[in-house]
This record gives sequence, C-alpha cells and structure tokens, in this order.
Amino acid sequence: MTDLSKIRNFSIVAHIDHGKSTLADRLLEETNTVDKREMEEQILDNMELERERGITIKARAVKLKYKADDGETYVLNLIDTPGHVDFNYEVSRSLTACEGAVLVVDASQGIEAQTLANTYLAIDAGLEVLPVVNKIDLPAARPQEVKKEIEDVIGLPAMDAPEISAKNGINIHSVLEMIVKEVPAPKGDREAPLQALIFDSQYDSYRGVVVYLRVMNGTIRPGMDVQMMASGAVYKVVECGYLHPKGMVPADALGAGEVGYLTASIKTISDTRVGDTVTGAEHPAAEPLPGYKTCQPMVFSGVYPADGSKYGDLRDALEKLKLNDASMYYTQENSIALGFGFRCGFLGLLHMEIIMERLEREFNLDLITTAPNVVYEIDKTDGSHVEVYTPLNYPDPMEIAQAYEPYVKASVIAPPEYVGNIMDLCQYRRGEFKDMSYLDQSRVELHYEIPLNEIIYDFFDALKSRTRGYGSLDYELIGYRPSKLVKLDILLNGELVDALSFILFADEAYARARRICEKLKENIPRQMFEIPVQAAIGGKIIARETIKALRKDVLAKCYGGDITRKKKLLEKQKEGKKRMRTFGTVSVPSEAFMAVLKMDE
Amino acid sequence: MNELKPLGIYIHIPFCRSKCQYCDFYSIGGSRNRRLVDSYLQALMLHLKETGALATDYVVDTVYFGGGTPSFFGADNLRRIFAEVQHRFRLDKDAEITFEANPDSVTESLLRKLRAEGFNRISLGVQSDRDDVLQKLGRPHNYEQAKTAVKLARACGFDNLSLDLMYGLPNQTVLQWEETLRHVLHLRPDHMSCYGLKVEENTPLWEYREAANLPSDEIQAEMYLKTVSILQEAGYAQYEISNFAIPGYESRHNLKYWLGEEYIGFGPSASSDFAGKRYTNYRDIQNYIRGVIKQDVPILSECESIPPRERAGEYVMLRLRTVYGISPEEYERNYLMPFEPLQKVILPLAEHGLFEQRNGNWVLTPKGFLVSNQIIVQLQEAQDASEPLAKKR
Repeated sequence: MTDLSKIRNFSIVAHIDHGKSTLADRLLEETNTVDKREMEEQILDNMELERERGITIKARAVKLKYKADDGETYVLNLIDTPGHVDFNYEVSRSLTACEGAVLVVDASQGIEAQTLANTYLAIDAGLEVLPVVNKIDLPAARPQEVKKEIEDVIGLPAMDAPEISAKNGINIHSVLEMIVKEVPAPKGDREAPLQALIFDSQYDSYRGVVVYLRVMNGTIRPGMDVQMMASGAVYKVVECGYLHPKGMVPADALGAGEVGYLTASIKTISDTRVGDTVTGAEHPAAEPLPGYKTCQPMVFSGVYPADGSKYGDLRDALEKLKLNDASMYYTQENSIALGFGFRCGFLGLLHMEIIMERLEREFNLDLITTAPNVVYEIDKTDGSHVEVYTPLNYPDPMEIAQAYEPYVKASVIAPPEYVGNIMDLCQYRRGEFKDMSYLDQSRVELHYEIPLNEIIYDFFDALKSRTRGYGSLDYELIGYRPSKLVKLDILLNGELVDALSFILFADEAYARARRICEKLKENIPRQMFEIPVQAAIGGKIIARETIKALRKDVLAKCYGGDITRKKKLLEKQKEGKKRMRTFGTVSVPSEAFMAVLKMDE
Repeated sequence: MNELKPLGIYIHIPFCRSKCQYCDFYSIGGSRNRRLVDSYLQALMLHLKETGALATDYVVDTVYFGGGTPSFFGADNLRRIFAEVQHRFRLDKDAEITFEANPDSVTESLLRKLRAEGFNRISLGVQSDRDDVLQKLGRPHNYEQAKTAVKLARACGFDNLSLDLMYGLPNQTVLQWEETLRHVLHLRPDHMSCYGLKVEENTPLWEYREAANLPSDEIQAEMYLKTVSILQEAGYAQYEISNFAIPGYESRHNLKYWLGEEYIGFGPSASSDFAGKRYTNYRDIQNYIRGVIKQDVPILSECESIPPRERAGEYVMLRLRTVYGISPEEYERNYLMPFEPLQKVILPLAEHGLFEQRNGNWVLTPKGFLVSNQIIVQLQEAQDASEPLAKKR
C-alpha cells in the first residue's frame, strides 16, 4: 500500500476531440507505465467502437508511478470518464473517486458545451480542477485568449496553465508536476470499516465480474467477505489489485485512498452497480457513501433481426451485452410485421445507438430498430392501471380513462445570447418554463419541466445547433402528468405495419402524421407498383402520400459476355434487399424505421 | 464422329486513339506502342493455338473483335489474328465475323482488306449525331465521319452493318434523342444498339457527374420507350434490352451470351463460358502477355464452375434480357426446378404491364425491361426459396 500522502487520484475532463485520450497516452509514456514501443494509440479506449467514435463509453482506470522533481515517487491514479449526457451519472461517480481533474481545452477551439458540463460536475464533486491548454502547436492556437476564456467563463485561475501538445509530447512533464503539486492527497482511515466506491464494472468470462473501485476508508484483502450495500449481495474477495493498461496486477491489499479492482466470482453485473458502496460483511460501515442512484432505462425501442431467422443470435448477443452493461434492459416482444424480437430499454438515445452498433458490429447482426418511446401510464376504464412500454400494447382508445406521460426537470446552461433560441426550442417541445438565473455574466441556467418524450429523440442535437455547441443539458425524472395521447398507425399499401406505430401527444398528431408520411416516402425506395403511405388514428386516415412506381433501374450492358460482373451487380442488389423487410409487396429498408423520428430539420 | 458443338470467339483489342469520358472498358488510349502491339499479337497467337487444341469437338460459328477499337488496331493486325483463328479452330463456312470500328479509323483500304479476308459484319460506334456532344464525350470523330464510314462500308460489301448509339447524354432532351434516332435511321443500318449512358466509377465522367446535367431517370425511361417504338415503326424489332435488328440481322455472337451458349474470350478483361466453366481474364495487358508467354502469372481473375441451380438463375437473368423470354417448360426440364414460384411473382407484374406471354414464354415488355434488375432479383429470390423438383418426387 502506498502512503496516502504519495497518492494522487485524478481524471481528465475534455470536450470530444480536445485530446483527452491522447494526453492519457502521453502520461503513460512519460511515466514509463507503457513502453513507447508497445504503445497502442490511445490505450485507454480499448473498445473498437470507442476508438472509431473517439469517445469513451466505459470508464477505465490506470495506475502510474511518477518520480517527481522533488525526488519522491508518487502513485497517480488516472480514472477515465465517459463524456455524454446519457452517462452523466457514470461521470459523476468516476469523478467522486478523484480529488482532482485535469481540464483539457483545445487552444484553437476554446471552451465548448461538454467542457462546461463536465467541469461543473467536477467542481460539484469538490475536485481541484486544473486547466491545461492543448494543441498549442497548431497554427490556429491562441493559448492566451483561451486561458482568459477559462478564467471568464468557468472562473478558474488559468494564467499558469501548462501549454502542451499531447499529440507531439510537448510539456507533458509540467502536467505531471502540476498533478503532484495541486491535486490534494486523498484522506481516509485504513483501519476504519471498509467503504469503497464502485465506479465501473466489467464482465470477464474467466473471473466473473471485475469491479473497479476507489477505497475511501478501510482496506480490502483477498479472502474477506464483502457486501454491496445497495444490492445487499455478499461475496468473498478472490483477488484485489491495481490496474495497469496491459492488465490487472494482483496485490495483497487495497487501502483507503487507493484505486484498483476486485474479483469475487460474481456472476451478475447487476449486483455491482456503479455508485454502490462495497463494505466489509463482518464490520460493515455505518452508512454507504452518498450519491448512489439506480439507473433507470428511460427510452425503449423494439429491436428485431433484419433476417427473422436470426432471432436466436440476437437473444444470445443481448444476453452477452447485458453482462457488461447493467443499465440495459430487454424483454421479448412480438410484432405482426417484424416477428420475434425484443423491447430494449436504454439510458438515452446515445446509449441506444452504441448498443445497436455493438450488436451489429461485435455480433455481426443486421437489426431493425423501431421508434424509441418512453414509458406511459394509463388508467383504464375498468379501473386498472397499466404501464405501456411499447406501442404494440397501447390500449384501445375506448378503454382509456386517463393517460399519463413522464416529465423531466431539464436544466439548460448556455451563454445569455442564446436564451431566446433555447426558449423557442423548449416551448416548441411543450416545455414549461420554471426559472432562469445568471450563474455569472457569461452563463445562464434555465429550468424547464418538459415531457421526456420531447427530449429523447433529437433535443440535444437541436439544442447544440441553436447554441452553437455551447448549450449543455441535464435532466432528471420528476414524475408522471396527465396527458392527451394517441397512437398513430402507419399503413403501407393499405396494410397496417405495427412496428411503425407510435404514441404521441394528440395535438401534434396531424402535423406529425403528415411529416412521417413524407419521411417514409423519402426513405422507402420506389417499387414495381405505386404504394400509398397512410397515417391513421384508430382507423381514421389523417395523412397520405404516394410512393411512385419505379420507372427505371440500371440497364447495364452485358458486354463481352461478362456475366460474372452482371451477377455480382444483382447479388449486391439482393444484399441490399436483405436489409429490408417485406410487408405484403412493399420492401422497407431498416433505416426507414428510425428516419421517421428525425423531425427537426 | 460426334456432332460438333457451336462456339463463339471473342477477341479483345485493348487499344484506342483516346479514352472516352464515360468508358470503363479495358483499353489503352493514345498511340500504339510497336513493341507492346507485337508482344500482344504474339501472346494472342499462342493463346489461340493452345486453346484451339482443347476445342476440337467445336465448330466456331461467330468471331467478334471488340475493344478498345479494333479498327484503330489496323487491318493487318486483325487479319493476322483472324488467320490464326482459322488455322487453330474449325470455322463454320457461314460464320458471323464482326469487328467494332470507330468512324475516325475506318478507311476504304481497311474495309476492303477485312472484307476480302472474310469479315462480314461491322459494328460502328456512332453514339450521337451532334458534334458538340461527341466532343464533350471525348469521342475522336464527328457525325460527318460516321456518315462517310457507313457509305464506305456499304461500298466495300458489308451488308450486315450495325450502329451503336447512346441516350441519356449530358443536356440531352427526349426531342433531341428522337431527332438523333431519325437522322441515324436515314443511314439505313441493319442493326442498332442503343445504350443508356451509365456513369461508371473510375471514369472522368464520374468525377464531374454532378455537373454534367444528365437527364433524370424519368427522362431516360421516356427516351428508352421512345427508342423501342420509333425503331419498331422503322422495321427494327427489339430482340434484347438494348438491341434492335431488321429480322434476320440479330447479332448471332451477342445472342450466345444471352442464350447461355459457349464462347471463349481472348485478351485482357475478356470472359469465357466454356466446357462448364466461366472465367474472366485480368484487366491488364502486361499480365496477359506474361501469363500466356512465360506462364509464371495467372491470367484468370475469376474462374467458377456453375452448379446447375445457379445455371437456373442465369437462365432467368440472361433470357429475360431477350424477347425470347423464359419458357416454363424448358425451365423445369433443364433445371428440374418448379416454375410455379416464379409464376407467382410474374402474374402480378403482368397485370401491371411489365410481363407478357409470347408463344408460351414469359417475356418482359419494354416497361418491364426498364426495371429488369428489380424483377430478376425478385425472381431469383423466389427461386432461391424453392425446392428442386427431383427432391419432391
């Protein structure tokens, strides 16, 4: 165990693309944690998907050893954080495990929305926030202006912030020195009852769940019985240790102030929830660490294999993903149009996109995703009360006494010049204005109560485009309110396609129905015959478009008898059709199911 | 002695005066490099010799020189190759011997030499009657040269003459295309091929396709339907998606491709369907020369044996390009597959005027030809899902 005074726990906060992962790589190199030769680019983001999107989805941590200019050797624990509103909770838990945060700002682009949102999370968590100006070797770099911006907008002293280039390894040493000097050493009593914060967990097929944690008080040792305070589950610790980029390094003990992992033959990841406190079963702590929340899926969507025969593969893939992602939820669902599939619950739309992409990529599945919806509650005329997770189960209008939809309290932070735009947007999305306050001269916070349904699709994108990227959003569920809801059905060539149905606010039905018909017309390729596209509420048609018949496809020559080439062309076309589902005589590409949502041009 | 099987021979001449803007066939533009031409001829000769030995139970009834631009390659070179074909293969006395020509490289002496040698069909690349369009497409000739070439060919005794035209060209209107057809009809060809311009990747046109003002699919469809009706009226029967002929003047060589008969292709990029195998040569002249002469690199980029079930798919794909269409009876007999699943796809299409029945066969109408890819895919999907007849019994 390292002496508390020689430990520094920190994370790196940055906007996407501002160089968080690159800086992490340089820190590993500079401290010889990883050999330059072995350095795989951006070692912290080790999911393929993360690398491509340049975002960190799951938090990780590494232990660095650094011999500082004062001659002492320090242990620096770097805890990585995800960076999106869907994962705000995970971010806040990761930050709670640290005493300091390095704020990376791009020297040419300055402060952006996500920088702000995560910086405030760090400040709220009581962290020492240390600005660093990155990419100073770019021609457009303006480090002095950016430093001033940091001081004006966030109110952090920034004039002495290191000017670095993570990409080219300039001034990395000064960042390490800053961490040692400015980040407070952790406090904690290693003899006290165990309190360790879970900030991440991961399923490993050999060891079971690997729990990543920060010990706040007490000491973890292999062989001891530990209890998860929220879930109540008790396990015997098999192994504990430190986190190295190339794997786990077992240790005899993990004491207060330290960051590491434990394994305990844990089978289900849902027993090890992010934010939960691990304590000793024999001498439990009096109370858990503060701030734990259970993660509720907010957005539900139907997920079907594009090829109906792949249902079993999809079920296996979901089972495997669930091992690694406790926040995901799924249950079987059956659509007349799409056959067997699943209704899946997600934290938000990005979470949903990531899961879909992982299913398609890691499990090689072609999927059809139906319009996401929130959970509605209904009082039925027979006195019963039901929760509706899918439009497929939406009761007949005759049976509905009162419908309710979930509302959130949304907080939007942006510079004052965008207040008008934000108000327009929130009003358009049925938001109810609560209050507005100036955080300082350059930042306003607005509070709205707004139906969750209105913000799950594209609200965040719309907010960003109306605030030139400066707007940040946070929201929390505040409960259900009575609402006028209807189910909108879509008919293709006169036949109802249940997978395209969705629930919406009644007053918007006509306008939305028209736009959806237009969208479907754009997204469904022309077929041999004319196809009417209709939208209906309870059997009454309220909008109609027509997909004209296909007039011409490619009349490729079959020159010189190159039949192989012609065959390949047709094969390609067949492959394309496999990504479509056929309803009666109409082929619908899987993208069409989602495209109907993108309402805000 | 066994009865001899018919065989088509295709010879690819990958040389052109210049590359056209839209062309993605394999050919080398610019002046002919003497040494390259010589070694290419040497390779062709050797390849013909070797292959001839494998085709002793065949009789060659069509030879087709395509390109590239065979006329640009010169009469003497073509004669030498043809002489080798005659030397190494058994040639039917009524064989159809076609060569492709561009108006700028057709001279009286070339025509006389080739006609005397036995070439009896000329396919002339005219493409358009408008000089500004020809220039834009990078064609190395004008319409006047095309007219002269037709007169010369007739004078030199070519009584089987085909013209190639293109529609869907930059800025082209339906009226302009009709005018082009009427002008060209004055030249009284025996056969016409009318192709819609297809913008292919890796061509100059692809790069500026957005700016090229190409007619929409709707307009191209209209141009196509006009082509069929205007040529029909003028006595040219449509016998394939893009091919029209005075009855009796159909291209016998090209029909082999569509009716699933055997042919061997020589030269880079040429394809063959011979002795149960389908194969294609690499699109690289140096590779071809080396592969044939030194035999230290493979010359085939693809080679596959086609299983009977796939042959059934090809039957549908190829026959539906022609006005002979698909015959339920022939289909079931040759491929032992049920026609009924196909019939299920065809009937509703017929109701919408995309299919019609002729002499018991199902044939695409001109409207059907326009969407033939879609239709063929639908039919092949129905086919893929069906069980062979033999299994059922």
